Amino acid sequence: MEFKMGPETRQVQGTWDASTYKFRMDGTGVRLLTEGMKDKKIKGIRCSECGMVYVPGPTYCRKCFVDIDEVVELKDTGTVMSYTVEMADVRGNPRDEFLISAMIKLDGADSWFVSSVKGVDWQEFKVGMRVKAVWVDEPAGSLTDIDHFEVIPE
Amino acid sequence: MLRKVAIVGQAQMNAADSGMSRERMLFELCKGFYDSMGITRHDIDTFVLCSNDFASGHTISNVFEDCPVGAYMKDETKVEADGVMAATYAMIRIMSGLYDTALVVGNSQGGSVMRPYLVMEYTLNQTYDRQLGLMNELSAAALQARAYMDEFGLTEEQLNKIAARNLRNAALNPFAFNGRADVTPEDVAASDLLYEPLRQLHCYPFTDGACVLLLASEEKAKELTDRPVWIKGVGDSLDTYYPERNAVRSKSVKLAGQRAYKMADVGDPANRIDVAEVSAKFAHQEPIICEGLGLFPEGSGGEVADRGLADLDGAMPICPSGGALGAYAFNAGGLVRLAECHRQLAGDAGDTQVVDARTALAHGQDGFCMQHNAVMIVSVEEG
Amino acid sequence: MRNVAVIGVGYTPVFVSKRRDVNIVEMISESVDAAFQNTGLTPDDIDAVTFGNMQTFEGLNLPHLWASDHMRAIDKPIIRISTGGTTGMSVLQAAYYYVASGMYDVVMAVSWEKQSEGDSQVGLSGIVLPEAMTMVAHGMDLFTGKGIGFGGGGSTGAASYQAMSYLHHSGAEPEHIDKMAALERSNAALNPYAHLRKKTTVEDIQATPMVAFPLRFGHTCPTSDGATTCIVASQEMVDKLTDGNVAWITGVGSATSDPCTANFLEGQITDPAEQKPAKIASEKAYRMAGIENPGRELDMSEMYNGFAHQSLMWLEKLGVCREGEAHKMLDRGALDIGGEMPTNASGGVFSTNAIGTSAMNRPAECALQIMRKIEGEHQIPKKIKKALAHGWGGMFQYVTVMVLADEPG
Repeated sequence: MEFKMGPETRQVQGTWDASTYKFRMDGTGVRLLTEGMKDKKIKGIRCSECGMVYVPGPTYCRKCFVDIDEVVELKDTGTVMSYTVEMADVRGNPRDEFLISAMIKLDGADSWFVSSVKGVDWQEFKVGMRVKAVWVDEPAGSLTDIDHFEVIPE
Repeated sequence: MLRKVAIVGQAQMNAADSGMSRERMLFELCKGFYDSMGITRHDIDTFVLCSNDFASGHTISNVFEDCPVGAYMKDETKVEADGVMAATYAMIRIMSGLYDTALVVGNSQGGSVMRPYLVMEYTLNQTYDRQLGLMNELSAAALQARAYMDEFGLTEEQLNKIAARNLRNAALNPFAFNGRADVTPEDVAASDLLYEPLRQLHCYPFTDGACVLLLASEEKAKELTDRPVWIKGVGDSLDTYYPERNAVRSKSVKLAGQRAYKMADVGDPANRIDVAEVSAKFAHQEPIICEGLGLFPEGSGGEVADRGLADLDGAMPICPSGGALGAYAFNAGGLVRLAECHRQLAGDAGDTQVVDARTALAHGQDGFCMQHNAVMIVSVEEG
Repeated sequence: MRNVAVIGVGYTPVFVSKRRDVNIVEMISESVDAAFQNTGLTPDDIDAVTFGNMQTFEGLNLPHLWASDHMRAIDKPIIRISTGGTTGMSVLQAAYYYVASGMYDVVMAVSWEKQSEGDSQVGLSGIVLPEAMTMVAHGMDLFTGKGIGFGGGGSTGAASYQAMSYLHHSGAEPEHIDKMAALERSNAALNPYAHLRKKTTVEDIQATPMVAFPLRFGHTCPTSDGATTCIVASQEMVDKLTDGNVAWITGVGSATSDPCTANFLEGQITDPAEQKPAKIASEKAYRMAGIENPGRELDMSEMYNGFAHQSLMWLEKLGVCREGEAHKMLDRGALDIGGEMPTNASGGVFSTNAIGTSAMNRPAECALQIMRKIEGEHQIPKKIKKALAHGWGGMFQYVTVMVLADEPG
């Protein structure tokens, strides 16, 4: 019982215009983070009930369901919790340079973020490796003030 | 035998602009609610969220709503329809016996983030209606208003009375922001003409709104409150999409009402219902809905307005809260009507309290000119 | 609580990249009609309708409004459920609750997606669009990979982080992902309702480029057009309307964690490969179904696997086997159609992905396997007494689980 597709119908153009939305976002945590990065400091928010440290963080703890505002300073070293190696673009064309993208948990933090790791052969790279942030020379209070991470030699 | 379910608490917030992100708005409302009820998020067996991807501007709108309502590592789901349907589904989940408590949370930010008329336009058939560009929520409602007025002789002055009454009620309701204390039908007549005959003050305001309801099984309800508001009946019905449906004698309102009345064993709605909160997004929709529900005779909108039958102290108080004209947010809208019924029956309705209210009706709608309608009947009588 | 069964399933005639011959509502009506045909029921037999899909993929809001006539849902109670990738199963679970509660006796659950009519990239990126915009405002660089934030993973996105974390914790090798992919595509070749139906070997998969290690091009699911309708009924109605050959829903569960990918603004505290909601939801469903040892008592599973490593991960997270055991089951043929735990005999989401239907096709396939009504050559030879269906979605956070059986619980 082979299905035979009927004649093609007309197509008309439509749109879902994202620019019609005026979003309002909670930037408290990311602002705290980027302002600190200007001084090469990394700041997160700690929940005083469960001790969870978010970098950056929301204004409330999702586990304890309370407002949180205790600021803590973290080191710029951490552990690789997971990673991927970008080898091709969205269409499957191979990239000239492979890029290691890692999910990193900074020492003292409970949350992870993504950053690239350079200066290491992807085939030597492993979950659990220790990494350190590489800052730009003149941080400007932006998420790119940390350019990438590097593996800490053992 | 259906398991008994009650509404044990409510919280709501409505504003022209909440001044907050969606996540913060939800967190503050839910946190305040948990604290006021003396419970935590761990007392909730299931979360039924109510929001809309296009209204929130987020694909899978509940992705970032789960944590702010307390659903982290919990059972949750999302209804993408009017809030009365979300409350109905929460009730059904409890009736299955698998849950004892359900938190229903509806929200949208039509005041600060998006334009509700545009979100409604996305419900139009893309291949024809949207291409024509003639229909939007306002123009369709205007056609419906004109049809009712032509059919039953409702005058513009009477339409203005309906709007004025709701806006004056809203002024007495701390949870509605669009109320005006001294508004007269003349003030309504002087407001901007949008789509003839609809004027600005005939229409629901753009609203940032969120509403929480806690539903519980019989045993839990009696633990949580000494005045449970029992859900006696629910009913909903979907009309045809196409314009040949009668938008003035709404079949889906009628069927939704009949199903709810049957389940609630209400034989004579005009007598048994003490107060009704209907989602009339435009003033003319109020008589259409009330007549479809059998609360007033068909076509009596003008007479009801002239004689004040829907007033707070009238024969059948309609929307003492100010209804949708006082505040109306996508998804939260119907829940707010239910929350207002809860306030009435719990004796918490302050200056808009209907005396001796024991059985109330809440109504919600979806789609252009009320294509889908949902009704919930609640009562302090356990039965 | 009443016993509820799936009494019939209706698919669109095919699931393909582009159904150019029908519009959205026509496509939906095909599956509704198929369900009526397969059960012998008429629209008058249906008490209520549950409905869902992922609507930003087509740019059509509240599609049940336009589809009202085509679904034969006029004058019926109807509810729309939309929960991302788990939508299909959430819709079927709603139908289950509708009947289990005693409110309705026969309920039709309709799910669909016509991704060719939208832009899937827009649909997907819409999940985090405002979050991404906020981060860009704080300097995040979307293109060069510099700085901190979220991103990376190329076209496979966050799934590659999940896959890597899974491999690390389970001891499975990248080759196991290739093997699972080949197995499921070969299964799909036997299923006339699957989208990608080419018999595939491990070498074929390994010939595809590595996109974001460990995930290859050949490890990712397609996007499809299609619709699925299931009809569920109470025990009384099963006796009245059917010959008794039905699939009973004996367990349901669902849970959410926080978004565990691209959750930079609010802080991602969860490993995308942890999937604790899978544990929460499955434990609930097993308890309801009276299952104490899922690995031994279940006869088959249908997992929501958008990426080929996920079937292995779900077997462990849903308690079908211990952590680190799934790839060993794969190696010894236990997951084959003829094995002890046939997994995704249909080819899974990995071979067919009309997103709104993907989580409903899992219990639908389980039901058809139990009823022995599979139209195709992927009918599992041994008798299926208990089956596990799984759904997944959101930002890697939602899990829904259903247990189906040949007898009521």
